Parts: sequence; structure tokens; C-alpha cells
Amino acid sequence: MADSVAGSEQATGTRWTLPVRYGFLVLIAAFVVFFATMNPVFLHGGNLMNIVEGSAILLIVALGMTLIVSTGGIDLSVGIALDFGAAFAVVAMKEFGVDWYTAALIGIAGGSLVGLLNAGLVVGLKVSPFLATLGTFFIGSSVQRIFTNGGGPISHRRMPQEYRDLAVGDIFGIPTEVVIAGVICLIYFVVLERSIIGRRVHALGMQRSAANVAGLKVNRYLIACFIVASMTCAVGGLIASANIRMFTPLSGFAYLLDAIAAVFIGAALHPRGRPNVPGTLVAVLFLSVVTNGLNLMGLNFNTKDALSGIILVSVLALAVAQRKLR
Amino acid sequence: MAGPVLQMRDIVKTFPGVRALDGASISVSEGEIHGLVGENGAGKSTVIKVLAGVYGADSGSVTLDGQPLTAITPANVHDAGIRFIHQDLHLVPHFTVTESVFMGQEVAGRFGLSKRQMRNMAERFFREVLDIEIGCGRLIRDLTTAERKLVQIARALIDDKARLVVFDEPTAPLAIGEIEKVFAAIRRLKAQGIAMIYVSHYLSEITEICDRVTVFRNGKDVAVFDKISDDSAEDIIKAMVGRELGQLYPNRTHAAGEPLLSVRGLSDGNRFFDVDLTLRRGEILGIAGLIGSGREELVDTLYGLRKAKSGTIELADLPLKLSKPADAVGKGVVLVPRDRRGDGLVLAMNVMENINLASLEEVSKLGWEMRGAARKRAEKLIGDLDIRPTNPDAIGQTLSGGNQQKVVLGRWLAIDARVFILDEPTAGVDVGAKVEIYQLIEDLAAKGAGIVVSSSDPGELIGLCDRILVMMRGRINHEIGTQGLSIDQLVAMTTGAADFSTAGGTARSAHAG
Repeated sequence: MADSVAGSEQATGTRWTLPVRYGFLVLIAAFVVFFATMNPVFLHGGNLMNIVEGSAILLIVALGMTLIVSTGGIDLSVGIALDFGAAFAVVAMKEFGVDWYTAALIGIAGGSLVGLLNAGLVVGLKVSPFLATLGTFFIGSSVQRIFTNGGGPISHRRMPQEYRDLAVGDIFGIPTEVVIAGVICLIYFVVLERSIIGRRVHALGMQRSAANVAGLKVNRYLIACFIVASMTCAVGGLIASANIRMFTPLSGFAYLLDAIAAVFIGAALHPRGRPNVPGTLVAVLFLSVVTNGLNLMGLNFNTKDALSGIILVSVLALAVAQRKLR
Repeated sequence: MAGPVLQMRDIVKTFPGVRALDGASISVSEGEIHGLVGENGAGKSTVIKVLAGVYGADSGSVTLDGQPLTAITPANVHDAGIRFIHQDLHLVPHFTVTESVFMGQEVAGRFGLSKRQMRNMAERFFREVLDIEIGCGRLIRDLTTAERKLVQIARALIDDKARLVVFDEPTAPLAIGEIEKVFAAIRRLKAQGIAMIYVSHYLSEITEICDRVTVFRNGKDVAVFDKISDDSAEDIIKAMVGRELGQLYPNRTHAAGEPLLSVRGLSDGNRFFDVDLTLRRGEILGIAGLIGSGREELVDTLYGLRKAKSGTIELADLPLKLSKPADAVGKGVVLVPRDRRGDGLVLAMNVMENINLASLEEVSKLGWEMRGAARKRAEKLIGDLDIRPTNPDAIGQTLSGGNQQKVVLGRWLAIDARVFILDEPTAGVDVGAKVEIYQLIEDLAAKGAGIVVSSSDPGELIGLCDRILVMMRGRINHEIGTQGLSIDQLVAMTTGAADFSTAGGTARSAHAG
């Protein structure tokens, strides 16, 4: 008897859950169809590659954010890490004439300073990640303004071609930035979703005290996560600076809110609500589709943010509804 | 006596895949303390939640003072005078005692909130009803668990409109001294004609305080006991488990060997001082003590959760430096924490993840998690420990207390720990699971592990342990063998009564008879 009860419950559950669970995919499909009807160019191969290419830096930043959100925190200083990556690399090449790859390494090291500061505040001084990274954000923004006498860009026209190729080159026909983002995404996926490191990061993110009692080296993992996340964002900075052959102060801020949105949309897509790499990837591509589609329609850039907000809220509401139905 | 105050009849409530209540009934009269018992999953909490308006029942009726309650919502139920003392505390840590008592039911004077009046009311309530000086200006986060429980009771009863009060495991986090205070308060409410439902796993409490008892099994009321005496416990247990319960405590097969863990002069400079203890291989060592005796802090320090100020800890003659739990785990010293849901399980993770959490290296190659191996190991431990449900993908949150405890134990069995520190190992665990956990502890000792059991249940300490250290005011006051030790004697030692006379306190025991 118990079985028959269970069976009927399950049946009604499935009937209602399916459309909700796949509601997001339906949403994406609806947008794609809509944009394609509005402007046939949308579906052309060249435009689709534009979308993917335009997603690269956001994806990289959002992956760093995914890591921090997985530890149960948030990182408001991803943009600063991105800026530092660009600044250190560009200055190293321009002022000290170093090779492109040395410059890249210096950029990544520069970005890691941001994570180091965050880790010190969060682990050492026990400041909450939200406030610690907010502090880092303010400090980092100010440092950039001071260094550039108020925020003027540092341009480097005679940038080595190899460095420039990070943004405009290609590897076997695939744009280099897409390859870089793809490789980072793959590494993140393996580490965060398939390795025991990821298992531990998720555990300490969900319930810090239980992870601590289980004997996980919680502080060590937190420090590592902050540093790795900022180094990841610095890679985004390298690509950004290679693209425009200059370092533009405070430009990383543009990615912060989209990255947060992507991580939480991605988490909402996970059956158990965890931040996760595939979810972040899908969400980033989706946000880029929307941006690109709106651009093709010739709509005001401001509309895009409103739409992103609506999408974020509806996806989160969808996720809540889905969990209630389960 | 007039008709029953509360009558719930033939309540049915189903969840996806589970029939939680299958025609359950309970009836409570005026001035009656009505015990509600049953194993975990028997439907006790569900029936309480139906009464509270948290769940809507599929069918069945609820009447209060003979009037059917039709729209059962939390607000309606509160207006009708039904109050709930939940097991979880639901208090805001940075509120004062007075603010917490009056939260949502503030008393307004002519110029807005009347803080002084509220404070006076709260102080009077604590003094007269609960017989305790609590300090109404103190913050919740500075109170002990026991004091918080009393605040919670005050909050439900301060408006004097309660008709029926439901206590859900009110004493679970309390020590013996405080239990008496809660009981005294309950008896005063009874004298005022308030009807009460008392849900508890502690049968000795049920038989001590309840006038009648309803037993739930599989979502149904299977027995009602009208006359309760100390001898009723055995019959109640029979009705609960639906079978004869064997002995509660296992036969001792373990034998103490050479010293394993030795602690000398350990102090944290605040809550405990100059603690010496030696734990041998194959020995079960008990630690008794009231809340505030330093017992909890000592346990935490032995595991690296707190820092010691002075003293040494040696494991198998090698110094053990503990700055974090990972240091202890690395040496095979493990803890089953008292706060199972906060510190024990990662609630959102499933059984497999929780079991493997401390030993992920063993189910991985070069850091890549071998999911097949992880699942196989989880399945083996689920079988060994008889964890229900047997599904390794079941989420920790959904498991009953006893099964959650088994999962935490299973995690440590997976790493072959040498020293097990068990803090309140059976708090909030039903009788059936208790017997199984006791047997597991005995088996571990028989295999040569050293085991420390810190518990507020004297029956458990005597039934399980070889020796007991009794803590009071941060020091070990007594060290005694359990051979021939009675619960009264142990309680007298923990309350300090033994130091002055031979009088005992109130026994609190999971003992069946």
C-alpha cells in the first residue's frame, strides 16, 4: 500500500517538475528563437562565434567567483584582481621590457596579491568574505587611481605580438581567448566537480563547522581558494589588456555583477542548488546571448541590465518552485 | 473532569513516498501532562506539526474544548492558546533575555515600548514560575543552553493565555540540575489547569512527570497508558518497538590494555583546570558533569577545537599537539560531536559524501575521486551499521537522529581511528537506535580502540563505561569504577551532593526499567 501511495505521488511530482526543471532551457530556446526571428544574422556562424568570444573573460571571472561562492563566501574584488593582472603585465612590458610570458606570469602574480589580502582578512582576521572583499575592492580601486594619477589608461602600442595574440590570435582556428577560457573551465570542472579537493571545498562551503570537525584543513583550503580565484581573474585581465593594448583602470568592475549573477543562476540550475562549473558556463553563455541579441536589435545597452535582472530573479524563483515541488 | 481539552482524531498525512500519519489520535485533558512517545519516524513530530498548522492534514479532525478547529494556521492556533516549546531554540543571539521573551508580543506603554515593564514582567516570571535568577539584561548568546531553554519557555507562557502547551524534547540539551527546574515549572502549569503534551525520548522523564502516555508506532497510536508508574517504562518500550527489547546495554567483552591517551595537568585557564586522565586501549571511559562543569570544554580541547593554556596530551607516549581538529584526526583521534546537526553531518550532503568526507584520499587516485569506490565503501558501512534508508544518496538532513549519528560514526570507522571521543552519543536518538549504537561502541572497544564517552545520561555512563570521571566546576572531583555504582550515587557526585551527604538528586536514565 505504501508503494502505491509513493507511486502516485511520484507521478504527480514528475508531471509538474519536468517543465520547471527544464524551464531554463525553454527560456534560452525562447530567447534564441526570438532573437533569430528579429534578426536572422543572430544565428550566423560568425555571430555565434562572437557570442562565445565575448563570453571568454566573463566566464573566467565567473569561474573564480564560482570557487569562492562554493566556499560559502562571495568575492566582490574579482574586478580588482582582473585590473591588477592587466596592470602588472602591461607595466612590466612597457617599463621593464620583459618577455610576453614573463609579463603574463607577473600579471598573474600581481592578481594573486588581491587574493592574498582577502585570505588574510577572512582567515586571519575572521572578517566575513562580503566585507573583506568589499574592503579589498575599495583599497584596490584607490591604489589604481593613485598609480594612474586619477584613472588614466596606460597604453602600450608596441606590445609583443605574442601577448597581443592572447586576445586576437587563434589556435587551429579557434580564438586564443576561447581556448584559454575553455582550458580554465575544464581545469575548474575537474578540480571542483570531480576531485576530492572540490568535495572538500563544497563541504566547508556548506557547513564550515562540520567540515572542521571532520578534520578538513579548512583555513588552508580557504586561503588557497582566494588566491586561486584571484589568479584566475588576473588571466582575464591579461586577455582584456591584450585586446585593447592598454591597461584601463577600474575596468574589471564591469564583470563583477554579471559574474555573481552567472554563479547564482548556475547554482539554481543544479538539482541540489550548489554552485557548479557547468551551471556557471551555461549561465555565462546565456547572459552573452541576451547581450548579443539585444545589440543586434539595436536596443539601448541599458535594456540589457534590466533584462539580466529579470532573468536572474525569474531563474532563482524557478529554482525555489522546483525545490518545493520535489 | 470535563471533556478533553484537545482531541485529535484519525489524522492522516502523507508525504511523497511516505505515509507519516496513518489515522493517528491523541486526546489530552485539563491539567494533564500527556506523554507522547514513539521511535523516530513514528509520527510524533508530524502530528505536532499538524497541530501547529505547519502541515495540513489529509484527513482527520482536531477539536479544542469540544469545538472543531477548522482552519489550522499557526496564527489561529496561537490565538486559541496552544503553545509550542520547540526542540530547536529559535532565539536571536544578540537579543537580550527580555527582548527575546517579548519578541512579537511586545508590551506597549503610553510612550511606545515599555521596556521597564517588560523587564519587570520577565524577571517576575523567571523568579516565580521557573525559580531561577537569569539576568534579564543578558544577551542570548551569553546564556548556557539550559538558560536559553528557560527563556524559550518564558516566551511561550508569559502572556498567561496558554491553554495547551506542547513540549518537544524540552530536556534534550539540559543537565540534571536544570531538568528539575523545568519539571518544577511544568508542574506549576499543571496546577493551573493547563493541558500539556510532553514529547521525549527519555522514558524515565516520561514516567516521572506524565499522567498519561500515548504511544505512536508507524504513524498510528498503538497504546494509551492511563496509569503511569516507574514500572510502566518496560510496557511503553514494548508498545514503541512492537517487540521485546533485549538488554539496553551490551555484554562487556572488551578488556583494557596499555595506556593510549594520557592527559596531564590540562587547563584552558577558564572553564577547566588541572585535568589528568588516562585512557587505555580497549577501555570505555566515561565523563560525567553538569552543564557548566567544564565537561564540554574539556572534550573540545581534547579534539583541538579549543586551545589549552597548560598541560600535556600524549598519544601512545608521543606528545600530541592540537591546534585544529585535523591534527587530532591525523593521529587517529576522532570526535562524534554533541551538536550532530551543526558539527557532525554536512546536512546538505548525502550519506556517501558524509561517510567518505574524512578519508577522501582512500577513494581517489591522484586527487580524482573514484566514485565507484566511494559508493562501495559507503554501501559497506551502511550495511555494517544498519543505516536507514540504505540509499547512499539520501541527504543527511532527511535522516533520523539515530541514523545521522551512525553516519558520523561510519565516517570514523572508515579511517580506523584509535581514540573515539563520543560527546552525548545518543542525545535525541530513539531506543532502538540507542541499543545499536551502544553495541557499536562495545565492539569498537573490544577491537582495541580507546573510547571516551561524555554524557549527561548517568544510566548510559554506568551501563557502558568501565570508569567514570566526574567533573564539577572545571575539575575532576571523583574517579570511580562503574561496578556496583548506582545512578543515584553518580548523580549525587555530579551535583556535588555526594561531597556533603549521601543524598542523591533526581535520576535521569534511559534505563528501560
